[in-house]
Amino acid sequence: MIVTFLDIVIAGLLLGGLYALIAMGLSLQYGVARVLNISHGEFIMLGALTTWTLFQLHINPLVSIAICGPIIFVLGFLLHRTMFKRLLNTSESADIFVSNSMLASFGLMFIIQNLALMGWGPEIRGYTYLAVPVDLAGAVFSKNRLVTLGFAIAIGLAFYIFLARTRLGKAIRAAAQDPSTAGLMGVNINFMLALCFGFGAAMAAIAGVLISMCYPVHAVMGLEYALIAIIVVVLGGLGSIPGSFIGGFVLGLVGSIVTYFEPGLALAAYYAIFILLMLVRPQGIMGR
Amino acid sequence: MKRTIKMMSLLVFLCFLVSLLVSVQPALAKDKIVVGMSRPLSGPLAVIGDSAFKPVYETWVAEVNAEGGIYVKEYGKKLPIELIIYDDKSDVGTMTRLTEKLIVEDKVDFLWPACGTAFIFAQAPIANKYEYVLVTAEGGATQIKDMLPSLPYIFVTLSFSDWYQLPVFADIMSKAGAKTAYVTYIADLHGIEYSGVAGIEFPKKGIEIVGTKSIPPDMKDWTPIIKDAKASNADIFCCFAYPDQVMPATGTSMGLGYNPKAWIGGPGVNFGFYKAAFGPAVEGILGFTMFSPKQSKAAKELADKLYKGKPIEVQDPWGHPCYWAGLEMWKQAIEKAGTLDQKKIRDILAKNKFKTVMGKTWFENGLLAKESHTGEIGQWQKGVYEVVGPEKDATAKLVYPKPAWPAPKK
Repeated sequence: MIVTFLDIVIAGLLLGGLYALIAMGLSLQYGVARVLNISHGEFIMLGALTTWTLFQLHINPLVSIAICGPIIFVLGFLLHRTMFKRLLNTSESADIFVSNSMLASFGLMFIIQNLALMGWGPEIRGYTYLAVPVDLAGAVFSKNRLVTLGFAIAIGLAFYIFLARTRLGKAIRAAAQDPSTAGLMGVNINFMLALCFGFGAAMAAIAGVLISMCYPVHAVMGLEYALIAIIVVVLGGLGSIPGSFIGGFVLGLVGSIVTYFEPGLALAAYYAIFILLMLVRPQGIMGR
Repeated sequence: MKRTIKMMSLLVFLCFLVSLLVSVQPALAKDKIVVGMSRPLSGPLAVIGDSAFKPVYETWVAEVNAEGGIYVKEYGKKLPIELIIYDDKSDVGTMTRLTEKLIVEDKVDFLWPACGTAFIFAQAPIANKYEYVLVTAEGGATQIKDMLPSLPYIFVTLSFSDWYQLPVFADIMSKAGAKTAYVTYIADLHGIEYSGVAGIEFPKKGIEIVGTKSIPPDMKDWTPIIKDAKASNADIFCCFAYPDQVMPATGTSMGLGYNPKAWIGGPGVNFGFYKAAFGPAVEGILGFTMFSPKQSKAAKELADKLYKGKPIEVQDPWGHPCYWAGLEMWKQAIEKAGTLDQKKIRDILAKNKFKTVMGKTWFENGLLAKESHTGEIGQWQKGVYEVVGPEKDATAKLVYPKPAWPAPKK
């Protein structure tokens, strides 16, 4: 009985760790940069497929985190500085920018996906890394999944501390709360927004690296993860980074419990939670 | 006056001659066979379409056209094949519209198949309505078997659950000594059908199904299922799903140290990319198949044409030989008919035996006859995907029980 309980809870945390990381990235992009980035999943895919390529060159997937994170950060930063900044300047209001940027990110999704199809081809890719059992108080888990959980939590917490304790983090939070006032106080808003978009993309890429350690990856894998990220972000409270972190784990646990009884109902349970939350607490777990 | 009459007569004669030439011109001007296809060039099925039928038809058409094309007696010459391919974006509705467009607007000479079982279900009645021969590629199902008597223009090439994979699998497992099985299947037509056929065929051979779990297509975490299977202590673990599920099921089995005596999964295990992903860990894993290059000179030649000098990822020994043989039969039927008349070609396809890469090959009630099959069950052995069942086609002896997962690299 205890082992079954541990099985379900740990499996939920393992899945939740990945969801949390993906959702934190999207939350940053939406909460601060105001871009509801539908192409978020494509950055996950880029991280995953790049890791696969590097693995073929005998580069350890954990080293790939240090390679993919910064590269995709630069890509995200540049995308914001070019495409989204221009959209921001030409949109009449913040609300119009939200809808415009969402449409633009739709287009971006197709562009990135097709470039990946051209580059990596349509085949499903995978590799074997740390696929060995580890015994946790009688509950057995795969080592690679425990590693992904460890990294997801470490990266999530590190980023939270960065936001809470550093000067740059404070500037980002200020930009999220009130961009106009933060601008008047000397915060370079456009730079902050691009920075957040870049950080969000980098987090997605790192999640992609971790996903590739456990799951097969391919060029059209992104959208399903982007949808989960959107659910988690709403669950946690739009724009709340800690909310997304907690929301990810909540969704992982719900998925694990439901899967134990009936695997086919896991996705249905995600949406049921989503609907319930919208009715009871529309602002999300940590929303204001 | 006489001269005028003569001139008029000449003019009438010339007009008659010209009209005669014009009326026979289409027949004389036929210089190619136009084949139309609706394929998933984008969307989720592009992954399957691009690696399954596409490499086959591309290689085959290039080879046939390099020889000048297909000889059609009616035209007294060889006609090269020209392909018109539209993107159905992996959408059935779009595919049906494009299929009708190909037939009605583009007036293609022949139709080649869309990709996937559900797509065959939708495309077959359209092809049949317009009396267009359709030799299918990716996809096949027990249910289509029941529809075929009312679809005389449809010919299904791929093998499937009770045609004749699972009866053979149950047979070789029973002979090896397996007594129990745990079945996981994807909750769609493919999975439900395979699980249903397993429920019929396994008990026939004395194999008891001790656990069954349906899984959704977006299954993320296999841990609870693999743990349940492990607890059941079944001899055989079945994963009747697609690569997107078969691959994480394999990874989770490894990660949890679950090593049943037989592990079968598919479609998925049969693809080269499965081997590329798991390396030496694939040893002993079973899947579905149709041929091995070791079986014959023709099989070796086909493998060379499709795979030589290319990465292992492109290999599919289950589907590729069926699709290639289907195209060969189609070509031979046209040559034998000596015309592009669909009805005559259909009759020849339905009633004749052909020599293809798979040896003597023919259709039986619209399905590739099971006697034509050159394999049903495959197993990875020393890095090679061998045919292990049925015995008449086997290129290697079944390894049972499956060896342990390899120790991780330090």
